Amino acid sequence: MLRLVGKRLLPQTLAPQSTASPALAARRYHERVVDHYNNPRNVGSFDKDDPTVGTGLVGAPACGDVMKLQIKVDEQSGKIVDACFKTFGCGSAIASSSVATEWVKGKQMEEVLSIKNTEIAKHLSLPPVKLHCSMLAEDAIKAAVKDYELKKAKNGSSEASSPKVAEA
Amino acid sequence: MWNPRKHLLLSSLSLLRHISSTPPLLRLHPLKPSPLLSPSISFLPPVDSQLRSNLLNLPLCGFPRNLSSSNSCSSCWNCGAVGPTSGAFLACGSCGAVQPVDASVDYFQIFGMEKMYEIEEGNLEGIYKDWQKKLHPDLVHSKSEKEKSFSAEQSARVIDAYRTLKDPLSRALYLLKLERIHVDEENTISEPDLLMEMMEMREAVEEAKDAQSLNEIQSKVKKKLEAWSNSFKEAFSKQDFDSAVNCTERMKYYVRALEEITKKL
Repeated sequence: MLRLVGKRLLPQTLAPQSTASPALAARRYHERVVDHYNNPRNVGSFDKDDPTVGTGLVGAPACGDVMKLQIKVDEQSGKIVDACFKTFGCGSAIASSSVATEWVKGKQMEEVLSIKNTEIAKHLSLPPVKLHCSMLAEDAIKAAVKDYELKKAKNGSSEASSPKVAEA
Repeated sequence: MWNPRKHLLLSSLSLLRHISSTPPLLRLHPLKPSPLLSPSISFLPPVDSQLRSNLLNLPLCGFPRNLSSSNSCSSCWNCGAVGPTSGAFLACGSCGAVQPVDASVDYFQIFGMEKMYEIEEGNLEGIYKDWQKKLHPDLVHSKSEKEKSFSAEQSARVIDAYRTLKDPLSRALYLLKLERIHVDEENTISEPDLLMEMMEMREAVEEAKDAQSLNEIQSKVKKKLEAWSNSFKEAFSKQDFDSAVNCTERMKYYVRALEEITKKL
């Protein structure tokens, strides 16, 4: 009987179980996850074509999750001045990407590359079965940085070539 | 102080209770051995003609039950009758006793279906109910603890089998599992085209204002799901497992979108 109850609780609904009795409190989303879900920070979209924006788009096909994390970079200092995210997935995935956007703000690009999924998971007290959500967030950060750098390189090379064209 | 008369009275009372609660089929039959007495019998019980012909038609094999095989060499723990030559041996055809779970019997065998993606989905429910009429825990209240636990496990396994085979995506993933193709749960992808399509699809669902637009999106997604489902069938039949896995990944995204649409409708 207890095993059945445990199994039923495991696939959590997204509604925070604030009315759950203490006896069933064994498996719930951590309050930080619930907080990020109810009070989402930095949900939104930047213009993908903006040269100061890096877009990281990653997915976890096993759960059908898709996560987009965008950074706005100050070209002079290489500092991330703003970040936003859009995630379709479970509460843990949403919270992980929300935390990621909070943590990258105000940091250097090289610095954010060292953000580890284990740190995000620890911050949110993610259970083992949800660790891959934090991995997704780490991958999203890296993808956003990579996208920005690719864009910068492309823009840099096109700026270099255009004076030649003008002369010709 | 051990009172022999009281003991005799109590055991005959429990015997009577057992007999009265046992369904008519299992009551003491002149030709079939009583389930109560069989454990103590060390020789073959008198057989009726049906049982004799079953025994004669089956290949000879030793009494020790072969738990690793799902075929004829399995015999009933309760009455010793030999199981069927083909098909899953979940309950004894002779005495009705629920058998322990044999993990080597896969879900397709439980439902008597060929191991392939395209199955007769309409037949699943009937076969499922037929099994539960023989296995369900509600039917073994008066049985031994051993049989009660067999019933709980066997019944749960049939439920798993039914749910897995009923849904196309889970059926596809199960087929891959049987082929020992491991789909990594933690795999992350960054294919821009695929993810962009899925992102836009989910955004469209989120922003849809009325039932009509949701229904439009739903029919589009269903078409895509069907297309990829057919692709899976083809890839799997050719044993192109990489493509098959790829198909299931896409199917998963469409299934999630459909779930969201259903929630909103």
